[in-house]
Amino acid sequence: MNVRAVEEAALDWVWAHRDRFALGEDALAADGQVNRTWKPLGELTRVCASVSLCTPPSDPVRARVSDLLDFAWRQTREGELFPLMQSLEPFATYPLEVYAAFTSAGFRHPGYEASAAVVARTRGWRLTEQYPTRRLGVLEAERHSGIPPHGTVPQALDRTWLGGLPEPWTFERAAGYALTHVVFHVTDWGGRPEGVPPGLADYLLHWLPPWLDTCLEARMWDLGCELLAVAASLPRPPGPDALDEAWLRLAAAQDPSGAIPEEGVVQDAAGEHPVIDPYDFTDCYHSTLMGVFAAALTTARLRDADHAGQGVPG
Amino acid sequence: MEQSSTSALLQGTVLDLASDVVSALRSGDHVRAGSTLTTGGAGEGVARAAVRVLGADTLLPAVLLRVPPDPGQLAVFKDAVTAHPPRPDAAPAVVWSHWAMARALRRLDQPLAGPPAGEPGAEPGADWLDRAGWQVLTHQLAVLAPLALPGEECAVTRVARRRPVDVARGFVRAVRRRDWQQAAGAGRWLTLLDGVPETLGLEAGLDFVRLMGGSDPRVALQLEAARLMPAAVLL
Amino acid sequence: MPSKDKVLKEVTRTENIEIDAVLDPAEPDGVFRDSRECAALALQSGAGNLLLSPPTPRPKKG
Repeated sequence: MNVRAVEEAALDWVWAHRDRFALGEDALAADGQVNRTWKPLGELTRVCASVSLCTPPSDPVRARVSDLLDFAWRQTREGELFPLMQSLEPFATYPLEVYAAFTSAGFRHPGYEASAAVVARTRGWRLTEQYPTRRLGVLEAERHSGIPPHGTVPQALDRTWLGGLPEPWTFERAAGYALTHVVFHVTDWGGRPEGVPPGLADYLLHWLPPWLDTCLEARMWDLGCELLAVAASLPRPPGPDALDEAWLRLAAAQDPSGAIPEEGVVQDAAGEHPVIDPYDFTDCYHSTLMGVFAAALTTARLRDADHAGQGVPG
Repeated sequence: MEQSSTSALLQGTVLDLASDVVSALRSGDHVRAGSTLTTGGAGEGVARAAVRVLGADTLLPAVLLRVPPDPGQLAVFKDAVTAHPPRPDAAPAVVWSHWAMARALRRLDQPLAGPPAGEPGAEPGADWLDRAGWQVLTHQLAVLAPLALPGEECAVTRVARRRPVDVARGFVRAVRRRDWQQAAGAGRWLTLLDGVPETLGLEAGLDFVRLMGGSDPRVALQLEAARLMPAAVLL
Repeated sequence: MPSKDKVLKEVTRTENIEIDAVLDPAEPDGVFRDSRECAALALQSGAGNLLLSPPTPRPKKG
């Protein structure tokens, strides 16, 4: 498998484009677009934190993601922007979710945690209306930030699409994104495969192959990467048969620059309009990050399997 | 032009024939199953070819419902088996669908008079299916759906019985791709297999395939077969 | 008028070739379209997108 090559190329692209993750003035502006400021930075942090945790210290990838994490933390002015954001938008959950990603990488801001806890004690915070999948993410963010979670994981899990074990042929894009995030949250972004309840693990082992196959056929590379990350987050990952071909198809979709396009249709549109850059940052950053994430988890699982195979006598 | 008009004629006849079978399976009325073949709607050659394409399922009402087949229909069926033997280099699915037709005749105690193609009862190999990934497996099984019958014992059914999860995956894939014919064929196989994961939701899945693709008589035929199968005891 | 006989001759001539393709057909191309959802009725749209999740929706180009 060429997983490692996909990982290195994608990480090169992220490194080359790191300035595009920087927080500008509009990160604090009332009319700023959080989806273009805090969201990409939070995703960069989330992925780099996970990659750092599953990569050996001697690996050059580890040094690179550490540098990216330092870069990201500097963007928040060593965490100072979090209490500032809270004073501007006290009931928003996204600052806490982005902050939680930093805590996974060992960065903390005790003052922010104390003030976030005050808001989290209100009934209003606990009753925030949101998608069940998102609620699971907020619970995890609270736990990571030293705040008593406002509900239990099993309860939140039962409300999600995946938690209800739906008929697998009802899978579509929205359900796919919901389920990948459920697995990311319960496994702490791939770090704790045992967080997947046994029933869910069996279910995913059965149905990931057709979901992956059809997403890749539809050239939904972004969701394909997320599903590959899910596959690498299971207590017992699917066999290489199921995954080798998926990685080959993904590698074929990767640009020589390392960018992984979000969807094939974006490339088609660019082909018809020569002015459009098919590998524009906005179109590629999420899928490329997810490629790094999936590849790092997969590489780590393969390494563990190798060690287990060689190291355990009898 | 002629090429496309002949294949359109053939396709149309296959659809008519499939509709006849669906009506017969729904009503238990075997005579209606023969109407396309016995009313002379299509030319002889086309009718024969259409029977060969629909394969052993042409006789499904007789096999599943235990009603004697219409003699005229039976005659065309036998002609089709004789007139369209698999070529030496034919793909395994072609060989097997022919075998399935001869098998249906034996089942109805109507073996071919003359020397049939191949040894009677000699079974082709199924190595190609054993080696196939779950996608190809399901596609080929759907093509060979006429072999999905209760109590059928051949190399193809043995492979299917060994790989229930793979066929279930193929069903999911077929629905996702909106390939209703493959989904219906795979669904028919799944009603016969043990070890299909409960979470598949097969019953709702078959209803869904009927809703989305049931207007195609070839899809409806597989779904009717799937519906009758659990209760049916093979001849 | 193209006679039926002519058509039938054509069938007979090509039947084995044609029938083999029909008997072992290739898979049709997959058709993929996701169900959509409009914003809840009588609710202001555009509030709150998923964080750390699906790519940000953006205006169609071109």
